[in-house]
This record gives sequence, C-alpha cells and structure tokens, in this order.
Amino acid sequence: MEIIVVIATIILIIAAILTIHYKDLVAAVVASSVVSLIASIYFYILQAPDVALTEAAIGVGLTTIIFMITLRKTRRMEE
Amino acid sequence: MIYIFLGVIVLGAILASVRFLLGPTSSDRVVALDTLTTMTTAFMVLLGLLFNRYIYIDVALIYGVLGFIGVLTIARYLEGGL
Repeated sequence: MEIIVVIATIILIIAAILTIHYKDLVAAVVASSVVSLIASIYFYILQAPDVALTEAAIGVGLTTIIFMITLRKTRRMEE
Repeated sequence: MIYIFLGVIVLGAILASVRFLLGPTSSDRVVALDTLTTMTTAFMVLLGLLFNRYIYIDVALIYGVLGFIGVLTIARYLEGGL
C-alpha cells in the first residue's frame, strides 16, 4: 500500500505543476481533474469514504462542468 | 490474488499517466483522464473488497457516474456543441 501512496504522490505533484503551466485551458482543466482524482484516492486509502465521496462529486463532476461552461463564454488559450 | 489485480491496475494507471504527460493534444489528455477514472473505479471496488467494508462500494459507484459526466462535458466542448 505504501508503493501506491508514493506513486499517487508523484502523479499528484506533477499534475498540480502542469495545471499551472499549461496555456491551453482545456488541458489545465483536465490536469486539475487528475489532481482531484488522486486526492480522492488519498481520502479513500485513509479510510474516510464520505470525504472521498464529496471530493469525487465536487472535484470531478461539478468543477469540470463549471469550468467548461466558463470556457465556452471566454477564450480557450491563455495569453 | 487481490494484490495481483491491484498491481495490474497501478501499472495501467502509470501508463495512462505517461500518456497524460506526453499527450500532444488535449484530446489525448481527455482520453487519459477517462482511462484513469475507469481504473480508479476498479481500484476502489478492489480496496472495498480488501478492507471488507460495504460503504466503500458507494464511492466507486458515484465516481463512475460523475467521471463519465465530466469527460462527456469536455468532449462536448471539444466538439463545439456545448
């Protein structure tokens, strides 16, 4: 189980850095969704399934949909 | 037996993460996210079997539904129909 935590930490940090660095905002939204996914796995391994449920519902579902509706009304590329 | 399945799922998640890092276009990253969501669902079901707790399956259920809706929204935006 420690190996899974280490791999999840590496993926989490890389995805969090890529969220800041991407100029294409669709890719940035996808990267932030990956961050939320790994955080949900963390809460799950730490045996808090209700927190993992909330994180999954808000991070993957609600945040992605709201960001995509926002990107429709604005530009896709960051300057 | 469960640990073998967990190892296979972690290996697949690593490969999907590599595609997420190297993907030239946004569509590759969306497909990698979809693969990661599916593997996370299977991972959560297997851990619920390993911990022998019943409520852990519900998290995987919610995750499967909402991850599908999120990927569907991004695909709809990329296609231009949102």
